[in-house]
Amino acid sequence: MTSETKAKVAIAGGGLLGRLLAWRLCQRELDITLFEAGDLSAPVGGACWAAAGMISPLSELVHSDKQVYNLGLKSLELWPEWARQLKEQSGQDVEYRRAGSVLVAHGKDRSELLQFLRELQGKLGESAREQVQPLDSNTLAKLEPSLHGFEQGLYLRGEADINNHRLLPGLLSVLHRGAVSLREHSKVNCEAGYISVNSEREEFDCVIDCRGLGAKGQIEGLRGVRGEVMVVESREVVLQRPVRLLHPRYKLYAVPRSDGRTVIGATEIESEDQSPISVRSSMELSSALYSLNPAFAEARIVETRVNCRPATMDNMPYIHSEDGLIRVNGLYRHGYLLAPAVVEQVESQVAQQLLQVV
Amino acid sequence: MSDLLTLYGKAFNSRLLVGTALYPSPAIMRESVQASASEIITLSLRRQNPAQQQDNRFWDYIRESGCQLLPNTAGCKSPREAVELAKMSQEIFQTDWLKLEVIGDDYNLQPDPFGLVEAARELIQLGFKVLPYCTDDLVLCRKLLDVGCEVLMPWGAPIGTGQGLLNKYNLQTLRERLSDVPLIIDAGIGAPSQAAEALEMGFDAVLLNTAIAKAQDPVLMANAFKLAVESGRAAFNAGLMLRRQTASPSTPTLDMPFWQQAESILQD
Repeated sequence: MTSETKAKVAIAGGGLLGRLLAWRLCQRELDITLFEAGDLSAPVGGACWAAAGMISPLSELVHSDKQVYNLGLKSLELWPEWARQLKEQSGQDVEYRRAGSVLVAHGKDRSELLQFLRELQGKLGESAREQVQPLDSNTLAKLEPSLHGFEQGLYLRGEADINNHRLLPGLLSVLHRGAVSLREHSKVNCEAGYISVNSEREEFDCVIDCRGLGAKGQIEGLRGVRGEVMVVESREVVLQRPVRLLHPRYKLYAVPRSDGRTVIGATEIESEDQSPISVRSSMELSSALYSLNPAFAEARIVETRVNCRPATMDNMPYIHSEDGLIRVNGLYRHGYLLAPAVVEQVESQVAQQLLQVV
Repeated sequence: MSDLLTLYGKAFNSRLLVGTALYPSPAIMRESVQASASEIITLSLRRQNPAQQQDNRFWDYIRESGCQLLPNTAGCKSPREAVELAKMSQEIFQTDWLKLEVIGDDYNLQPDPFGLVEAARELIQLGFKVLPYCTDDLVLCRKLLDVGCEVLMPWGAPIGTGQGLLNKYNLQTLRERLSDVPLIIDAGIGAPSQAAEALEMGFDAVLLNTAIAKAQDPVLMANAFKLAVESGRAAFNAGLMLRRQTASPSTPTLDMPFWQQAESILQD
């Protein structure tokens, strides 16, 4: 195929989905344009930058549908190879880590662990037991020596995480080098076969709309769910893997990064408010963190992030395909868990549509 | 036979009030509310930024249910805080109905009786229809009635514990002594059988959230609670039999003298 006959694909939205799609599709013989309303360079806007990058199908299953779990398993299969390719192409390690995750609860909340197991069993049957290893204070101390004062926990061996602050810039550098045309500060409107920037309408063979909340009004029931995250730096406490604290009221995860920082989050508030983190939320996150190990008291809060996760009313990923237009949205709190599986589905839909064009 | 629940002059068919928090998704929340047949739903303004409320899809979604909205003051620890939040809720949800919560203890979310009475007095003067979440203390309940509450919502057990009706003696006392006041058991209900029990005891309704929202199948559980509440109410209306110490066969055994019947029971 010569360049004149290459099919033209527009991707609207330069978040996680947009970048992954641009990267995957530019490896085919396609003419790709990526539109982004803001900046593509870090710090990136949108939920993908605020997130902690966990890929944890089991932990998420207790408050989501089995379909999310199944897509998550698919993503767990895809991430290692994608991370390897990205490292090769960008020269940057995206820090994909499959070290499992640990769930703990304080003594008086120990029924939370039981409840978690029960819910997993309810959704997965007996196979849940094989994927979850109960921990006592000894095994817990071996796995996560920095946790303080916990008598029991659960180890979810299969779970993983990725450093999104490496991944997103890494993807961008690969896109720069590849044959992708990048158009920043371009707020667009998406229609079947067309992208409009301001009043200019450009024609494409296929338009992929993955603008997240930018697509509000075009997708029924799309809403934002506010999330607040803090980043702390501690020399004393070093976690080995993502840790979740189960508590009847507060939920906390702590995800350690290679640079000694720990991302802690995340609140979940039914609001599209993007204003800075509230005092209440920062207290809840801090005191939950402190309860993992009192030495966290001397950690430094180096950053706070607030963003809204795009979600549909059933909190399930949204993929809609019609001739010349594919809309992907609503990854909610499961961006890194779902993205590879969802991107693969979209890739095959693009291929189908373009076959019909050519 | 019509057996309506009347609260502040408004009549309802359903005696089950449900919350809107903690569901896996808004869609499941709405389906559960429908399955519960509730006509009154609570919701919380807490943690929202009032400056940014022009466009909240989630609340629109709740409003579309057509239910009587009952905003709450969850998490408020002082009367001042509760009154301010109540005013904000009134503006945003366009209703003067209010589930008043003033929390006195952070860990078990126990109501602060003193702050509750103070806040209730002020809110009633402001024209609110106050449904206070209170403990099962008779004197507290009286004081709440004195300041103008027409409905009371004593707890069964602390919020989210699912322990059921912990102090039946107190609850029974409330029911007997405040026989004309609509009493709704709020909080602590974990199982449909506990909801049924509350209605059997003569309570007018129950309010719950966690037991439905955190069930593995919230929609199915909502239906279970609907049936339990209907069943408990029907049982109350029908008049429960009294408990007896000795068995009484529904068909007398004529061939056995009554003193021997008693003996054979004792030997069992």
